[in-house]
Amino acid sequence: MVARHAPSLAPERPVDASMTLLNELRRRPLDPGYAEAARRRALTGEGHGTVARVVSVVLAATLGIGVASATLSLRRPTADDRQARRLLEDEVGERKDAVEGLEAANARTAAQIAALQEAALRGEDPQLLESTRRWAVASGLGTVTGPGLRVVLTDAEAASENPEDLDLRVQDVDLQVLVNGLWAAGAEAIGVNGQRVGATTAIRSAGSAVLVDLVPLVGPYTVDAIGDAGAMQADLARSSAGQHVAMLRATYGIGLGMTSERALRLPPSPVTGLGWAVVPDDALLAAGLVDAPAKAVVPESGADDERDGP
Amino acid sequence: MIAILGLVIGVLVGLVVQPTVPVELQPYLPIAVVAALDALFGGLRALLDGIFDDRVFLTSFMSNILVAAFIVFLGDQLGVGTQLSTAVVVVLGIRIFSNAASIRRHLFKA
Repeated sequence: MVARHAPSLAPERPVDASMTLLNELRRRPLDPGYAEAARRRALTGEGHGTVARVVSVVLAATLGIGVASATLSLRRPTADDRQARRLLEDEVGERKDAVEGLEAANARTAAQIAALQEAALRGEDPQLLESTRRWAVASGLGTVTGPGLRVVLTDAEAASENPEDLDLRVQDVDLQVLVNGLWAAGAEAIGVNGQRVGATTAIRSAGSAVLVDLVPLVGPYTVDAIGDAGAMQADLARSSAGQHVAMLRATYGIGLGMTSERALRLPPSPVTGLGWAVVPDDALLAAGLVDAPAKAVVPESGADDERDGP
Repeated sequence: MIAILGLVIGVLVGLVVQPTVPVELQPYLPIAVVAALDALFGGLRALLDGIFDDRVFLTSFMSNILVAAFIVFLGDQLGVGTQLSTAVVVVLGIRIFSNAASIRRHLFKA
Protein backbone atom coordinates (compact mmCIF):
# COMPACT_ATOMS: atom_id res chain seq x y z
CA MET A 1 0.00 0.00 0.00
CA VAL A 2 3.00 2.28 -0.28
CA ALA A 3 2.65 4.73 -3.17
CA ARG A 4 5.67 4.78 -5.47
CA HIS A 5 6.61 7.04 -8.30
CA ALA A 6 8.29 4.29 -10.22
CA PRO A 7 7.51 0.61 -9.65
CA SER A 8 10.69 -1.25 -8.85
CA LEU A 9 11.26 -4.69 -10.23
CA ALA A 10 12.03 -6.32 -6.91
CA PRO A 11 9.53 -4.95 -4.36
CA GLU A 12 11.16 -3.99 -1.10
CA ARG A 13 10.24 -6.17 1.84
CA PRO A 14 8.34 -4.18 4.46
CA VAL A 15 9.92 -4.17 7.89
CA ASP A 16 6.95 -5.75 9.55
CA ALA A 17 6.38 -8.38 6.91
CA SER A 18 6.15 -11.11 9.49
CA MET A 19 3.19 -9.40 11.10
CA THR A 20 1.05 -8.95 8.01
CA LEU A 21 -1.84 -10.85 9.49
CA LEU A 22 -1.97 -8.71 12.62
CA ASN A 23 -1.45 -5.51 10.62
CA GLU A 24 -4.17 -6.49 8.23
CA LEU A 25 -6.47 -7.10 11.14
CA ARG A 26 -5.64 -3.88 12.91
CA ARG A 27 -5.50 -1.45 10.03
CA ARG A 28 -8.21 -2.70 7.78
CA PRO A 29 -10.81 -4.47 9.85
CA LEU A 30 -13.50 -3.48 7.37
CA ASP A 31 -14.26 -5.93 4.62
CA PRO A 32 -12.48 -4.57 1.51
CA GLY A 33 -15.53 -5.70 -0.44
CA TYR A 34 -17.38 -2.60 0.69
CA ALA A 35 -14.80 -0.24 -0.81
CA GLU A 36 -14.70 -2.26 -3.99
CA ALA A 37 -18.47 -2.27 -4.33
CA ALA A 38 -18.55 1.48 -3.75
CA ARG A 39 -15.96 1.98 -6.48
CA ARG A 40 -17.90 -0.23 -8.86
CA ARG A 41 -21.10 1.63 -8.08
CA ALA A 42 -19.41 4.94 -8.77
CA LEU A 43 -18.26 3.63 -12.14
CA THR A 44 -21.47 1.97 -13.36
CA GLY A 45 -24.08 4.16 -11.70
CA GLU A 46 -26.75 3.05 -9.19
CA GLY A 47 -26.81 -0.65 -8.40
CA HIS A 48 -29.38 -3.37 -8.14
CA GLY A 49 -32.73 -4.20 -9.72
CA THR A 50 -35.99 -5.21 -8.04
CA VAL A 51 -35.26 -8.93 -8.12
CA ALA A 52 -31.92 -8.39 -6.40
CA ARG A 53 -33.62 -6.31 -3.72
CA VAL A 54 -36.25 -8.97 -3.03
CA VAL A 55 -33.58 -11.65 -2.88
CA SER A 56 -31.61 -9.46 -0.48
CA VAL A 57 -34.55 -8.99 1.86
CA VAL A 58 -35.43 -12.69 1.87
CA LEU A 59 -31.83 -13.70 2.43
CA ALA A 60 -31.38 -11.14 5.16
CA ALA A 61 -34.60 -12.21 6.88
CA THR A 62 -33.47 -15.84 6.75
CA LEU A 63 -30.12 -14.93 8.26
CA GLY A 64 -31.88 -12.89 10.93
CA ILE A 65 -34.13 -15.78 11.88
CA GLY A 66 -31.13 -18.07 11.98
CA VAL A 67 -29.09 -15.79 14.20
CA ALA A 68 -32.02 -15.05 16.50
CA SER A 69 -32.87 -18.71 16.97
CA ALA A 70 -29.19 -19.58 17.44
CA THR A 71 -28.88 -16.95 20.16
CA LEU A 72 -32.08 -18.09 21.81
CA SER A 73 -31.07 -21.73 21.80
CA LEU A 74 -27.71 -20.79 23.31
CA ARG A 75 -29.48 -19.09 26.17
CA ARG A 76 -31.98 -21.91 26.68
CA PRO A 77 -31.07 -24.91 28.86
CA THR A 78 -29.95 -27.70 26.60
CA ALA A 79 -32.02 -30.75 25.78
CA ASP A 80 -29.79 -32.93 27.97
CA ASP A 81 -30.45 -30.82 31.05
CA ARG A 82 -34.17 -30.95 30.46
CA GLN A 83 -34.09 -34.68 29.86
CA ALA A 84 -32.16 -35.34 33.06
CA ARG A 85 -34.53 -33.11 34.96
CA ARG A 86 -37.58 -34.89 33.56
CA LEU A 87 -36.06 -38.24 34.47
CA LEU A 88 -35.53 -37.12 38.04
CA GLU A 89 -39.04 -35.70 38.24
CA ASP A 90 -40.49 -38.96 37.00
CA GLU A 91 -38.46 -40.89 39.54
CA VAL A 92 -39.58 -38.65 42.40
CA GLY A 93 -43.20 -39.05 41.31
CA GLU A 94 -42.86 -42.83 41.13
CA ARG A 95 -41.30 -43.09 44.56
CA LYS A 96 -43.99 -40.84 46.00
CA ASP A 97 -46.70 -43.03 44.53
CA ALA A 98 -44.97 -46.11 45.92
CA VAL A 99 -44.78 -44.53 49.39
CA GLU A 100 -48.43 -43.57 49.27
CA GLY A 101 -49.40 -47.09 48.21
CA LEU A 102 -47.39 -48.61 51.06
CA GLU A 103 -48.90 -46.19 53.56
CA ALA A 104 -52.38 -47.11 52.42
CA ALA A 105 -51.54 -50.82 52.69
CA ASN A 106 -50.11 -50.20 56.15
CA ALA A 107 -53.28 -48.42 57.28
CA ARG A 108 -55.41 -51.26 55.90
CA THR A 109 -53.35 -53.86 57.73
CA ALA A 110 -53.49 -51.87 60.96
CA ALA A 111 -57.28 -51.63 60.72
CA GLN A 112 -57.41 -55.35 60.05
CA ILE A 113 -55.27 -56.07 63.11
CA ALA A 114 -57.49 -53.87 65.26
CA ALA A 115 -60.63 -55.55 63.98
CA LEU A 116 -59.20 -59.04 64.57
CA GLN A 117 -58.02 -58.04 68.04
CA GLU A 118 -61.44 -56.75 68.92
CA ALA A 119 -63.18 -59.81 67.51
CA ALA A 120 -60.84 -62.13 69.40
CA LEU A 121 -61.12 -60.32 72.71
CA ARG A 122 -64.82 -59.52 72.68
CA GLY A 123 -65.94 -62.97 73.70
CA GLU A 124 -62.85 -63.99 75.66
CA ASP A 125 -61.92 -61.04 77.80
CA PRO A 126 -64.09 -57.93 77.63
CA GLN A 127 -62.11 -56.37 80.46
CA LEU A 128 -58.84 -56.68 78.57
CA LEU A 129 -60.54 -55.24 75.49
CA GLU A 130 -61.63 -52.21 77.51
CA SER A 131 -58.13 -51.61 78.85
CA THR A 132 -56.67 -52.14 75.37
CA ARG A 133 -58.97 -49.44 74.07
CA ARG A 134 -57.96 -47.11 76.87
CA TRP A 135 -54.28 -47.68 76.23
CA ALA A 136 -54.78 -47.31 72.48
CA VAL A 137 -55.55 -43.64 73.08
CA ALA A 138 -52.32 -43.07 74.97
CA SER A 139 -50.16 -45.10 72.60
CA GLY A 140 -51.58 -43.44 69.52
CA LEU A 141 -53.00 -46.66 68.06
CA GLY A 142 -56.63 -45.66 67.90
CA THR A 143 -58.51 -42.76 66.35
CA VAL A 144 -59.42 -40.14 68.93
CA THR A 145 -62.15 -37.57 68.54
CA GLY A 146 -63.33 -34.87 70.86
CA PRO A 147 -63.02 -31.24 71.82
CA GLY A 148 -59.59 -29.75 72.26
CA LEU A 149 -57.11 -26.97 71.74
CA ARG A 150 -55.63 -26.06 68.35
CA VAL A 151 -52.30 -24.21 68.29
CA VAL A 152 -51.05 -22.90 64.94
CA LEU A 153 -47.40 -21.87 64.57
CA THR A 154 -46.43 -19.98 61.40
CA ASP A 155 -43.00 -18.96 60.12
CA ALA A 156 -42.22 -15.28 60.57
CA GLU A 157 -43.17 -13.11 57.60
CA ALA A 158 -39.54 -12.04 57.19
CA ALA A 159 -38.59 -15.71 56.63
CA SER A 160 -39.40 -15.55 52.93
CA GLU A 161 -36.93 -12.69 52.52
CA ASN A 162 -34.16 -14.37 54.54
CA PRO A 163 -34.45 -18.02 53.64
CA GLU A 164 -31.10 -18.69 55.30
CA ASP A 165 -32.16 -17.40 58.71
CA LEU A 166 -33.51 -20.47 60.51
CA ASP A 167 -34.38 -18.40 63.58
CA LEU A 168 -37.31 -16.94 61.68
CA ARG A 169 -38.76 -20.38 61.05
CA VAL A 170 -40.61 -22.76 63.31
CA GLN A 171 -38.06 -25.40 64.29
CA ASP A 172 -38.27 -28.92 65.60
CA VAL A 173 -37.32 -27.78 69.09
CA ASP A 174 -40.25 -25.35 69.19
CA LEU A 175 -42.68 -28.12 68.32
CA GLN A 176 -41.03 -30.43 70.87
CA VAL A 177 -41.43 -27.84 73.62
CA LEU A 178 -45.02 -27.10 72.64
CA VAL A 179 -46.01 -30.78 72.42
CA ASN A 180 -44.38 -31.60 75.76
CA GLY A 181 -46.08 -28.56 77.29
CA LEU A 182 -49.43 -29.76 76.00
CA TRP A 183 -48.84 -33.27 77.41
CA ALA A 184 -47.98 -31.67 80.74
CA ALA A 185 -51.11 -29.53 80.55
CA GLY A 186 -53.23 -32.66 80.35
CA ALA A 187 -53.71 -33.38 76.66
CA GLU A 188 -55.06 -36.86 75.98
CA ALA A 189 -53.89 -37.08 72.39
CA ILE A 190 -51.79 -34.79 70.20
CA GLY A 191 -51.32 -34.52 66.45
CA VAL A 192 -49.11 -32.23 64.41
CA ASN A 193 -50.47 -31.42 60.93
CA GLY A 194 -52.53 -34.62 61.14
CA GLN A 195 -49.57 -36.75 62.27
CA ARG A 196 -50.41 -38.47 65.53
CA VAL A 197 -47.81 -37.99 68.25
CA GLY A 198 -47.38 -41.08 70.41
CA ALA A 199 -45.12 -41.86 73.32
CA THR A 200 -42.20 -42.82 71.08
CA THR A 201 -42.80 -40.33 68.28
CA ALA A 202 -39.74 -38.29 67.39
CA ILE A 203 -39.96 -34.65 66.35
CA ARG A 204 -36.74 -33.85 64.58
CA SER A 205 -35.42 -31.76 61.78
CA ALA A 206 -33.62 -32.67 58.57
CA GLY A 207 -32.17 -29.57 56.98
CA SER A 208 -34.87 -26.96 57.25
CA ALA A 209 -37.73 -29.47 57.26
CA VAL A 210 -39.39 -30.66 60.43
CA LEU A 211 -40.03 -34.39 60.65
CA VAL A 212 -42.76 -35.77 62.87
CA ASP A 213 -42.69 -39.55 63.00
CA LEU A 214 -40.22 -39.33 60.07
CA VAL A 215 -42.84 -37.61 57.91
CA PRO A 216 -41.61 -34.24 56.62
CA LEU A 217 -44.03 -31.43 57.36
CA VAL A 218 -44.22 -27.86 56.11
CA GLY A 219 -45.60 -24.84 57.92
CA PRO A 220 -47.95 -23.58 59.15
CA TYR A 221 -47.77 -26.21 61.88
CA THR A 222 -51.14 -27.07 63.39
CA VAL A 223 -50.83 -28.79 66.76
CA ASP A 224 -54.12 -30.37 67.82
CA ALA A 225 -54.46 -31.48 71.43
CA ILE A 226 -57.58 -33.27 72.61
CA GLY A 227 -58.67 -32.46 76.13
CA ASP A 228 -60.12 -29.59 78.13
CA ALA A 229 -59.20 -26.62 75.96
CA GLY A 230 -59.64 -23.94 78.63
CA ALA A 231 -57.64 -25.76 81.27
CA MET A 232 -54.88 -26.70 78.79
CA GLN A 233 -54.58 -23.12 77.59
CA ALA A 234 -54.30 -21.82 81.14
CA ASP A 235 -51.77 -24.48 82.17
CA LEU A 236 -49.74 -23.92 79.03
CA ALA A 237 -49.59 -20.18 79.59
CA ARG A 238 -48.18 -20.76 83.07
CA SER A 239 -45.60 -23.34 81.99
CA SER A 240 -42.13 -22.82 80.54
CA ALA A 241 -43.45 -24.09 77.18
CA GLY A 242 -45.90 -21.18 77.13
CA GLN A 243 -43.06 -18.80 77.85
CA HIS A 244 -41.00 -20.33 75.05
CA VAL A 245 -43.82 -19.89 72.55
CA ALA A 246 -44.46 -16.32 73.70
CA MET A 247 -40.74 -15.61 73.32
CA LEU A 248 -40.87 -16.95 69.73
CA ARG A 249 -43.62 -14.50 68.91
CA ALA A 250 -42.02 -11.53 70.64
CA THR A 251 -38.42 -12.05 69.49
CA TYR A 252 -38.66 -13.63 66.04
CA GLY A 253 -42.15 -12.65 64.91
CA ILE A 254 -43.29 -16.27 64.59
CA GLY A 255 -47.06 -16.40 64.24
CA LEU A 256 -49.03 -18.03 67.09
CA GLY A 257 -52.74 -18.76 67.07
CA MET A 258 -54.74 -20.66 69.73
CA THR A 259 -58.34 -21.69 69.28
CA SER A 260 -60.52 -24.10 71.17
CA GLU A 261 -62.17 -26.56 68.81
CA ARG A 262 -65.37 -28.40 69.46
CA ALA A 263 -64.58 -31.51 67.43
CA LEU A 264 -61.05 -32.63 66.62
CA ARG A 265 -60.21 -35.95 65.04
CA LEU A 266 -56.78 -37.49 65.32
CA PRO A 267 -55.95 -40.51 63.14
CA PRO A 268 -53.87 -43.35 64.57
CA SER A 269 -50.13 -43.27 64.25
CA PRO A 270 -49.17 -45.11 61.04
CA VAL A 271 -46.03 -46.66 62.50
CA THR A 272 -46.77 -49.19 65.17
CA GLY A 273 -44.40 -51.91 66.21
CA LEU A 274 -45.34 -54.84 68.34
CA GLY A 275 -42.91 -54.69 71.25
CA TRP A 276 -44.04 -57.49 73.47
CA ALA A 277 -46.56 -60.27 73.23
CA VAL A 278 -47.72 -63.05 75.51
CA VAL A 279 -49.54 -66.18 74.51
CA PRO A 280 -52.25 -66.90 77.08
CA ASP A 281 -51.62 -70.04 79.15
CA ASP A 282 -54.88 -71.70 78.24
CA ALA A 283 -54.22 -71.15 74.57
CA LEU A 284 -50.92 -73.00 74.89
CA LEU A 285 -52.60 -75.77 76.79
CA ALA A 286 -55.34 -76.03 74.23
CA ALA A 287 -52.78 -76.30 71.47
CA GLY A 288 -50.95 -79.01 73.40
CA LEU A 289 -47.65 -77.16 73.25
CA VAL A 290 -46.93 -77.37 76.98
CA ASP A 291 -47.76 -79.94 79.58
CA ALA A 292 -47.80 -77.81 82.66
CA PRO A 293 -49.14 -74.30 82.96
CA ALA A 294 -45.95 -72.27 82.45
CA LYS A 295 -45.82 -68.76 81.24
CA ALA A 296 -44.24 -68.36 77.83
CA VAL A 297 -42.95 -65.03 76.74
CA VAL A 298 -42.51 -64.51 73.04
CA PRO A 299 -40.60 -61.35 72.28
CA GLU A 300 -41.30 -60.11 68.82
CA SER A 301 -38.00 -60.20 66.96
CA GLY A 302 -38.32 -57.23 64.62
CA ALA A 303 -39.75 -54.90 67.23
CA ASP A 304 -36.49 -53.53 68.57
CA ASP A 305 -35.17 -52.62 65.14
CA GLU A 306 -38.37 -50.80 64.40
CA ARG A 307 -38.28 -48.75 67.56
CA ASP A 308 -34.64 -47.76 67.22
CA GLY A 309 -34.94 -47.08 63.52
CA PRO A 310 -33.79 -43.79 62.11
CA MET B 1 -30.14 -0.65 3.53
CA ILE B 2 -32.87 -3.02 2.52
CA ALA B 3 -30.76 -5.90 3.78
CA ILE B 4 -30.65 -4.37 7.26
CA LEU B 5 -34.42 -4.01 7.17
CA GLY B 6 -34.73 -7.66 6.20
CA LEU B 7 -32.33 -8.67 8.95
CA VAL B 8 -34.34 -6.77 11.57
CA ILE B 9 -37.55 -8.39 10.34
CA GLY B 10 -35.87 -11.79 10.46
CA VAL B 11 -34.61 -11.27 14.00
CA LEU B 12 -38.07 -10.17 15.16
CA VAL B 13 -39.70 -13.18 13.50
CA GLY B 14 -37.10 -15.44 15.07
CA LEU B 15 -37.73 -13.96 18.50
CA VAL B 16 -41.50 -14.40 18.16
CA VAL B 17 -41.59 -17.83 16.54
CA GLN B 18 -38.59 -19.23 18.45
CA PRO B 19 -37.75 -22.03 16.00
CA THR B 20 -35.71 -24.89 17.39
CA VAL B 21 -32.20 -25.41 16.09
CA PRO B 22 -31.34 -29.02 15.16
CA VAL B 23 -29.15 -30.69 17.75
CA GLU B 24 -26.42 -31.44 15.17
CA LEU B 25 -25.90 -27.71 14.62
CA GLN B 26 -25.61 -26.87 18.33
CA PRO B 27 -21.77 -26.94 18.55
CA TYR B 28 -21.44 -24.35 15.78
CA LEU B 29 -23.85 -21.83 17.22
CA PRO B 30 -21.53 -19.83 19.54
CA ILE B 31 -18.92 -19.21 16.84
CA ALA B 32 -21.61 -18.52 14.24
CA VAL B 33 -23.13 -15.87 16.46
CA VAL B 34 -19.74 -14.21 17.01
CA ALA B 35 -19.14 -14.26 13.25
CA ALA B 36 -22.55 -12.72 12.65
CA LEU B 37 -21.69 -10.00 15.16
CA ASP B 38 -18.48 -9.28 13.26
CA ALA B 39 -20.37 -8.92 9.98
CA LEU B 40 -22.94 -6.73 11.70
CA PHE B 41 -20.30 -4.36 13.03
CA GLY B 42 -18.58 -4.30 9.65
CA GLY B 43 -21.87 -3.37 8.00
CA LEU B 44 -22.52 -0.63 10.54
CA ARG B 45 -19.09 0.84 9.96
CA ALA B 46 -19.55 0.74 6.18
CA LEU B 47 -22.88 2.46 6.66
CA LEU B 48 -21.22 5.26 8.57
CA ASP B 49 -18.42 5.41 6.02
CA GLY B 50 -21.10 5.83 3.36
CA ILE B 51 -20.03 2.80 1.38
CA PHE B 52 -22.62 0.30 2.59
CA ASP B 53 -23.67 -2.29 0.06
CA ASP B 54 -26.45 -4.84 0.51
CA ARG B 55 -24.78 -7.55 -1.49
CA VAL B 56 -21.42 -7.24 0.24
CA PHE B 57 -23.11 -7.13 3.63
CA LEU B 58 -25.14 -10.28 3.01
CA THR B 59 -22.25 -12.12 1.42
CA SER B 60 -19.89 -11.27 4.27
CA PHE B 61 -22.56 -12.17 6.81
CA MET B 62 -23.22 -15.54 5.27
CA SER B 63 -19.64 -16.44 4.47
CA ASN B 64 -18.55 -15.41 7.96
CA ILE B 65 -21.04 -17.77 9.54
CA LEU B 66 -20.29 -20.61 7.15
CA VAL B 67 -16.52 -20.28 7.44
CA ALA B 68 -16.69 -20.05 11.23
CA ALA B 69 -18.89 -23.14 11.40
CA PHE B 70 -16.61 -24.95 8.98
CA ILE B 71 -13.53 -24.12 11.04
CA VAL B 72 -15.20 -25.48 14.17
CA PHE B 73 -16.28 -28.58 12.28
CA LEU B 74 -12.77 -29.09 10.96
CA GLY B 75 -11.31 -28.53 14.40
CA ASP B 76 -13.70 -31.06 15.90
CA GLN B 77 -12.73 -33.63 13.28
CA LEU B 78 -9.02 -33.03 13.92
CA GLY B 79 -9.37 -32.95 17.69
CA VAL B 80 -8.35 -29.31 18.03
CA GLY B 81 -11.86 -27.85 18.11
CA THR B 82 -11.38 -25.76 21.23
CA GLN B 83 -8.10 -24.25 20.07
CA LEU B 84 -9.45 -23.39 16.63
CA SER B 85 -12.54 -21.89 18.20
CA THR B 86 -10.30 -19.73 20.38
CA ALA B 87 -8.35 -18.60 17.33
CA VAL B 88 -11.54 -17.67 15.50
CA VAL B 89 -12.87 -15.79 18.50
CA VAL B 90 -9.57 -13.89 18.90
CA VAL B 91 -9.48 -12.82 15.25
CA LEU B 92 -13.14 -11.89 15.09
CA GLY B 93 -12.86 -10.17 18.45
CA ILE B 94 -10.01 -7.95 17.25
CA ARG B 95 -12.03 -7.06 14.17
CA ILE B 96 -15.13 -6.29 16.17
CA PHE B 97 -13.07 -4.07 18.45
CA SER B 98 -11.46 -2.13 15.60
CA ASN B 99 -14.79 -1.68 13.85
CA ALA B 100 -16.43 -0.59 17.08
CA ALA B 101 -13.62 1.94 17.62
CA SER B 102 -14.12 3.27 14.10
CA ILE B 103 -17.89 3.51 14.66
CA ARG B 104 -17.21 5.36 17.89
CA ARG B 105 -14.99 7.85 16.03
CA HIS B 106 -17.75 8.39 13.49
CA LEU B 107 -20.47 8.91 16.04
CA PHE B 108 -18.67 10.94 18.68
CA LYS B 109 -15.86 12.42 16.56
CA ALA B 110 -13.45 11.32 19.26
